[in-house]
Amino acid sequence: MSVAVSSERGAAHVRSERWAPALATLLALLLVAAAAEIVLDGAAGISPLIPKSPAIAGWLEGIGERLGYRVFLIALLVSTAAYAGLVALARGASGAQAADGRAHAGVISKRWAIVLIAALQLIVFVGPILLSTDVFSYIAYARMGVEHGLNPYTHGPVAIAGDPVFKYVGHDWLRVATAYGPLYTLLSYPLALLGVVGALWAMKLEALLASAGTLALVWRCARARGFDPVAAILIVGANPLFVIYGLGGAHNDLIMMLAMMAAVSLTIVGTPTGRREAGAAAWVVAGALTKATVAVLLPFMIVSRRRPAPILGAVAALVLGALIGFAVFGIHGIDVVAALNRDAAFVSTDSFAVEIAHLFGKPGVFPVDHDLLKAGLVLILLHLLWRTWRGYDWVAASGWALLAISVTSTWLLAWYILWPLPLAVVTRDRRLLAATLAVQALFIVHQISPLLVQVQ
Amino acid sequence: MSWAPPWLRPRTVELRGTGQLRLIETTLLLLVGLVLAIATVNDLAREAGINHRLVADLKTWRHYTGHDYRNISIDQETLGAGSQREILCGNTSPGAPKSRTQICLAIWGPVLDGRRTVHGGWYLPANVENDVRSDRYGCFGPGARGLCLR
Repeated sequence: MSVAVSSERGAAHVRSERWAPALATLLALLLVAAAAEIVLDGAAGISPLIPKSPAIAGWLEGIGERLGYRVFLIALLVSTAAYAGLVALARGASGAQAADGRAHAGVISKRWAIVLIAALQLIVFVGPILLSTDVFSYIAYARMGVEHGLNPYTHGPVAIAGDPVFKYVGHDWLRVATAYGPLYTLLSYPLALLGVVGALWAMKLEALLASAGTLALVWRCARARGFDPVAAILIVGANPLFVIYGLGGAHNDLIMMLAMMAAVSLTIVGTPTGRREAGAAAWVVAGALTKATVAVLLPFMIVSRRRPAPILGAVAALVLGALIGFAVFGIHGIDVVAALNRDAAFVSTDSFAVEIAHLFGKPGVFPVDHDLLKAGLVLILLHLLWRTWRGYDWVAASGWALLAISVTSTWLLAWYILWPLPLAVVTRDRRLLAATLAVQALFIVHQISPLLVQVQ
Repeated sequence: MSWAPPWLRPRTVELRGTGQLRLIETTLLLLVGLVLAIATVNDLAREAGINHRLVADLKTWRHYTGHDYRNISIDQETLGAGSQREILCGNTSPGAPKSRTQICLAIWGPVLDGRRTVHGGWYLPANVENDVRSDRYGCFGPGARGLCLR
């Protein structure tokens, strides 16, 4: 590189370092303002975007106006644009740091990133439940077991129609038994004793803590792998789908992701030992006993490590979990395959499978499409396993597997495309992060039809 | 794992020869991404088209009945899913949704001047939750043929 080119680039860096902090601050303010708008308007009362709920955010009432699709979508788009800008700035800074060896901490500092993420998450935490009734299903299943002596693996919430939580459960789930793992169901049981409002706050707190724990582990893993941990936590913690949909709905996917990152952290932070690898496999099983999807990490971990320890750890955790699950819930509590098969048959309008069906002039997906999608997913998983056997990073392979599961699923929800994100920021294969963010962007684009023509 | 044969030992780096594989993978990823993007934009346009039609349907119902009501239910199944034929039901006098006698209109055809054509309809008694054949009365127009008992 010539001296002239080098000095030109240096001057460009100096210029960009001058305006970048101001731009980062502006983008952060936009993110916070958009989140606040959604929460304050959501607290104002009945809205198609806010599920029927006990008045937990009543103290925020009167500040905003009823949340409509238009305002929500504009806020979501503003969040997404601001997030994209912040990610570009953060990754640009870490790229520049890697290129010239100088610290570029002025653009986005550790403290700045943590304050922004904390602000976003706390804003959503204090507000109403956003965009999903799932949390009321969690509470209903817990109350079925604790208050009514019913097995949530054999009954839907309709069995407790007189219970105060029943009216908040989503219509589609009234007759559906729980699909979550026995560990999660047992974790939710004590919360049933708090009453509906108490359980709701406890679920929100659980999601917030799981999010904080996941971000702390993302930080550790990114640093252990030589990535900029500030960029890594910003990409996950300020992600609009993570904050608004994941945390806003208090989804238990966040708990699953915490277990997933605990497993990853045990294998990539510090010196790998048999005990740590066994522990990592046990964490994956614990995650799968919360929500089964994360079990897909296990074969990649085992193929990569090629030691008995992860197998032993997984088997021990699985036996323990299955024994407890069986003792408390019977055979239905450990029949994960039945729950997965049932959920795989669901169809949502946001799934890529349905979009592709529409592209080819079909009204929707048919049973043969389900089979084709399953076959495609199996081929992808086999390819990833083969690459992992040849030495490809098992964490990246797991991230691709989770992304493939969400893209091939006919039942796609916003929080499903969060699964690969924490893995994508701690792997060297940058294609995974690009693909995950691209899929999220397409999901958001698909939401905006009410902005184009609003039905009133 | 020192006891294991070399092919069974864990690898710290991936085996050589993956450059071309990476190229193939990246090409496939880009192709899949392109298909997903086209499908998403196509679906968005399709939904916008449906919304455009529904806006015309609502305007038609309000114009036909002379009531500027907001709570009007739209049924896209009875006349055939994907047929672009809809049934819109709403109150005939002010009140909570479905708490008054409702008038239902069968609407289809092209959008002209922001409205579509009413081909028939029927009434439903007050406090009827679902529009079922046994509750329909006062049917009129060819659009109601075969859809009413009385």
